[in-house]
Amino acid sequence: MSTHRKLALLLLIALPATAQEPAQEPRSFTFTVDPIVLGIFESSVDTGSSKWEEYRDRSSGFVIPRLGIEGRGDGDRFLTFRATNVRRDDARYTFGYGVLDRWALTVDSNKIPHRFGNDGRMLFTQTSPGVYQIADPVQLALQTALEKQFAANRALITFPFLNGLISPYLATAGFVDLGLERDRLNANLGFGSLRGFSWGLDYKHEDRDGNRPYGASFGFSNATEVPEVIDYSIDDAELAGSWSTDRAGVRFGYRMSTFRNNVSTMYWDNPWRLTGATDPSAYTAPGSGSIGGSGVGFADLWADNESTVVFADGRTRLGSSWYAQGSVSYNTMTQDDPLLPYTLNPSIQGIDFDHSTFDATDVNKLPARNADNEVNVTNLSAQVGGDLGPAFDLTFRYRLYDYDNASKRIEFPGYVRYHAVWEEIARITVPFSYTKTDLGAELGWDVTPSSRLALSYNLQSWDREFREIDSSDEDVVKVSFDTHPGTRFSLRSSYESGDRSIGDYSPEAAENSFVEPEGVTNLPGLRKYDEAAREYDQFNVSAQLFATDALSFFFGVTGRDEDYKESRFGLVSDDVKQYNAELAYAPRDTFNVYLFGHRFDRESFQRSRQSGATPSTNPQDDWDLTLGETTDTFGLGLTAKARAWTADLQANYSKTDGNADFFSPPGGTPDLAVGFGDYEDVELLALLARVDYQLNPRAKAGVGYRWEDYTIDSFLLRGLRNYLPGALLLNPDYGDYTGSVLTLDLSLSFD
Amino acid sequence: MTGNREEITMRLHRLVPALCAAVLLAFAGRAWAAPQAPESTPPPGYAGSDVCMACHGEVAGHLAGTPHGSKAFERLAAHGCESCHGPAAAHTENPDDPVLRPDITKRSAQDQAKLCQSCHSGRQQMFWQGGVHASRGLACQSCHSIHSFKSDRAQLRTASEIDVCLSCHKDVRAEMWKSSHHPVREGKIACADCHNPHGSTTAKMIKAASVNDLCYSCHADKRGPFLWEHAPVRESCLNCHVPHGSNHIKLQKTSVPYLCQQCHANTRHPGTLYDGATLADQSRASNRIFNRACTDCHAAVHGSNHPSSPYLGH
Repeated sequence: MSTHRKLALLLLIALPATAQEPAQEPRSFTFTVDPIVLGIFESSVDTGSSKWEEYRDRSSGFVIPRLGIEGRGDGDRFLTFRATNVRRDDARYTFGYGVLDRWALTVDSNKIPHRFGNDGRMLFTQTSPGVYQIADPVQLALQTALEKQFAANRALITFPFLNGLISPYLATAGFVDLGLERDRLNANLGFGSLRGFSWGLDYKHEDRDGNRPYGASFGFSNATEVPEVIDYSIDDAELAGSWSTDRAGVRFGYRMSTFRNNVSTMYWDNPWRLTGATDPSAYTAPGSGSIGGSGVGFADLWADNESTVVFADGRTRLGSSWYAQGSVSYNTMTQDDPLLPYTLNPSIQGIDFDHSTFDATDVNKLPARNADNEVNVTNLSAQVGGDLGPAFDLTFRYRLYDYDNASKRIEFPGYVRYHAVWEEIARITVPFSYTKTDLGAELGWDVTPSSRLALSYNLQSWDREFREIDSSDEDVVKVSFDTHPGTRFSLRSSYESGDRSIGDYSPEAAENSFVEPEGVTNLPGLRKYDEAAREYDQFNVSAQLFATDALSFFFGVTGRDEDYKESRFGLVSDDVKQYNAELAYAPRDTFNVYLFGHRFDRESFQRSRQSGATPSTNPQDDWDLTLGETTDTFGLGLTAKARAWTADLQANYSKTDGNADFFSPPGGTPDLAVGFGDYEDVELLALLARVDYQLNPRAKAGVGYRWEDYTIDSFLLRGLRNYLPGALLLNPDYGDYTGSVLTLDLSLSFD
Repeated sequence: MTGNREEITMRLHRLVPALCAAVLLAFAGRAWAAPQAPESTPPPGYAGSDVCMACHGEVAGHLAGTPHGSKAFERLAAHGCESCHGPAAAHTENPDDPVLRPDITKRSAQDQAKLCQSCHSGRQQMFWQGGVHASRGLACQSCHSIHSFKSDRAQLRTASEIDVCLSCHKDVRAEMWKSSHHPVREGKIACADCHNPHGSTTAKMIKAASVNDLCYSCHADKRGPFLWEHAPVRESCLNCHVPHGSNHIKLQKTSVPYLCQQCHANTRHPGTLYDGATLADQSRASNRIFNRACTDCHAAVHGSNHPSSPYLGH
């Protein structure tokens, strides 16, 4: 069903309900346009970095940055229309019409661009959606050159050699900008009163189009990227009823969501091969110098899926101050996409469980033709609370979230690695399931009318299926104290301590996807941090002081220290501290200024051990890593008005300094570890200055200037230098820029 | 000919909703009940809204055009201004006595909320009582202003929703200035798209049964379930991502490949050291420490539907 048809259906549903309203004589409607802003953007930027317009449209030209229309009619009729950035890539339009406390229709259209990188280079040409091809003569020439060198001296198939081969072709290759646009439509039709019964229909539709980088490698040693085609349609609808009184209320409904990928399979040519061949190792050149593999790769992109939810929420008062509330929902998520064959490489033969061979490109040889996956989620929460006398209150909470993956397990006799080789290792799908429960209580004490002390305890339990830990319990104790004596000062503080204990840790669980487990390949001493035993402390203190009616200070500090003390390998600790300070001064309505500073400090520690074919038992093969990052953020804002003039100034500066410090004891492999200082160092300075002049009560002229300077120094980008262009990565530009936008606009309002 | 027919069909498709909208608006023009007339004689203790307006005319100006200045409000609140402020006859008789001023902000946060909840207790406000904001002593007026609001919608104290939230959640304000972030500071999504500040039954007041269910509402492509699953992905997106801002691509809490290596220290390449020497020396260079690192090859890290991708490659 098309978007337009769905919208039409929505509107048709509305008609009978509106028709039920008693007929009235025609009424008058008055409109106000407040404001319409007409402007001109003059934009400039010194690089092609996508970050400059990551989520925005800053192109030069005529703009209507803002438009607002308000209509009011007799009998509480209202009409609103608001628009921002009219007709641009980041436009938004919101329309509302209805009768207050009777019914209302809201339609919101929101365009959200997301740009990942500009000017990527690729040899491919997209011949149809999701099909990337390289001219056969180019593929053949590169394959021939590789084969020739392979025969002469395979050891010389290195990146410099590949770079030399590919450079002439890349010099004439095309560019590709990577990014997507979300076109969202959100319509809501509601009927009923705040008190009593009401119901509403929500409908959301999103078209998402564009592309993003996709890893499309043909082997272990090299890497190739193609732009993953994004062409999605997402529809959500919710029908809900609500009944509310002073004493109790319920809300119930049905929600469904569908995701459709209009390009579900992507194909791309192998830049280094025209014809398919097998490769016993899939270690393509360089490295071992192997040059086999498939002439074409393919990927099963995001599968179509559905979700249906029934839900009910309720609340009621139980006597004087006690209340009970809860919610329950049941969600069924399904996915039943047709499965693709093991490979498109005709030179590969599959080997079945009985050791007979079959055509691995034949989809009929799969043990199942469709994914047939289903997950059922039961969610339940309840809360009861109330006062214990004049100074104390008590709250009990219970939550249950049961994720039951009911998908059947499918056994595959093997799989094709990198489109190059059949691996005769039988695998079986693993429907991970889990149940999470929270049981907690909080006792509050109003120490004074303006001070509250609260003590809470929560027990969070996990039960998992197919993972390393079957069950875990986490005890969390929290104390909080808030006070605001008088109107000049407020303090909020809390301290929380958690202790998660686990049952047996079974590294063998990682082998659950093997029909015949081959033996544990992860380090036995590793504990995956999301399920490992841990202790944590967390605190939060913030204070605000209004020194005078005009001057206020804010200071806050928060911290969280996590320790995974039973983890010999993996994440061992993770500590975060944040500091905040703000000064605000507003002596009169026509002048205010604020200044804030924030520091974010994070340090994590992880340990590993390098192994060959089997897990190493040599402590000298250990290596550990301390990752530190400090981000300082400052902001300044100033607004001043004098007669007809208004000036606004905003400045924001954020700088992150990250460091990766490694250590490895001598004597093992590795026996030396070298740190680096560009663990994502990022700096952004954004300045905005604006001056407006009120021409008359209904017209205002303004000039604005935005200036931004962005730099990124990342080890991930530096690592590319050793590989390009032979790695055939897209390497789009999402790096440094300095850009500015000059805005001239005229704001009008009229009836 | 076929092209013409398709074009006509497409035009009809475009026309249908427009016609529906037109009909709907035509019906809607006669679609309300007659407003009830305000009470003529205030009950004992009450002064009546007209008396209030005689001194507080500017408030009437502010309220005009808002739901609290509408006929609907009159229907729901029988005593006009005094429906919220309480009986004010004593105040009108002795307006200079500060004790007699019916100032709502003098009441406790709990009482203020109770007042607002006499109407706003359903829908999104259903779980205010017992919610985090309520239990930490916030009142409705901490964020909203009935008489002097500055926002286009929801009568907020500040011009935008994000300003209200960040006036307390200052850590989040700084997070949003990091390189990788959701488009909140660009105004394309708002805090309330993910959180319900009026309370919810889930932690962090999110608007879904779990973090993942919330993320799927925008990232439905990741919802699956897939043939080959990555267990931590299904349990919580927050195992690998931070929602408010990061300086690592894709809102990762730690950059790849080290994020992956916090769980995967397996034999061969997952447990191998990728350090500064790997970056500096081409002879030791590795494709596991450039570009998108592990995900250069394990492109389907959120789950794969391909029979040949048990390792979540393509």
